Amino acid sequence: MKNSDKKKLSLWELYLTKEIGIEFKACLYFFAFLFFYCMYRVIGGVYDASILHMTELILTCYIIGYIQVYLLWNFDEADALRVKEVSGMVLCTAIYCVLSWLFNWLDRNIIATVLFGAYILFTYFCVFLVYKYKREIDDKKLNEDLQFFQTEHKKVHDKG
Amino acid sequence: MIVDIQKIESGDESITIRYKELTPKLEKIIGILEKTENKVWGKLDSKTVSISIDDIFYIESVDDKVFAYTGEQVVRLDGTLNSFLMDINDESFFRCSKAMVINVNRVKALKSLASNRIDATLESGEHIIISRRYASDFRRLLKGARS
Repeated sequence: MKNSDKKKLSLWELYLTKEIGIEFKACLYFFAFLFFYCMYRVIGGVYDASILHMTELILTCYIIGYIQVYLLWNFDEADALRVKEVSGMVLCTAIYCVLSWLFNWLDRNIIATVLFGAYILFTYFCVFLVYKYKREIDDKKLNEDLQFFQTEHKKVHDKG
Repeated sequence: MIVDIQKIESGDESITIRYKELTPKLEKIIGILEKTENKVWGKLDSKTVSISIDDIFYIESVDDKVFAYTGEQVVRLDGTLNSFLMDINDESFFRCSKAMVINVNRVKALKSLASNRIDATLESGEHIIISRRYASDFRRLLKGARS
């Protein structure tokens, strides 16, 4: 009984971990894209941001976060950038660009939209690199812990 | 060979082996007497063999049959993965997926993968993926050695 309870809990924990990951992604991309949006406004001589645009942007980031994780192989956290990961990046970028056009985030300016697309791809690539280096640091920690475990276990074994 | 078994009422229990020549059969008996706790028995090509648990790289359950993989041989064990873990009671054997147990002491290197999975490279060069579900426990096990 205890074991099955533990299993149920860990399933819940797994779901929660995934959900937190999506929330984190939504915030990360929202702030990155908000920066672009604000820069576009500032360059255009507008010094305020539309609350409606920001609401649309955060909801878009949230929904695309789900698409990324559940349908597009979580490409920004992938081990390597292969064709499917790059196609995922391009697809999400296209969705953002289309929505930016529909919701009028960048005044339906073609050049700004193209630059926005390039900026999104660049952001995805940077996030991919961040996760990659994070894993490399994690590798080192894991292997240190492994070595320590093996040494300690050998000591206990030899004593026994 | 004469087998002489005596029951004693007091004193220490002892086993004495007297031999003219140390045959493989005798070596096997001595091996069993000296290291019974460190061995498991299983079947290899219909013969019963013993293997040292330190030699096991990983244990896998396939169609309700349990196999122990050493660098050179695959031995079929009796029981289940759970019963094996309970019998040996050794924390270096870690359940890394529903159907597999790895010997952490036989892991050469670890690699962190996407989605919190871990790729364990064994001394044999084989790669075992520790699933997301078991990766946190695995990290805790390794960190446990430090605390």
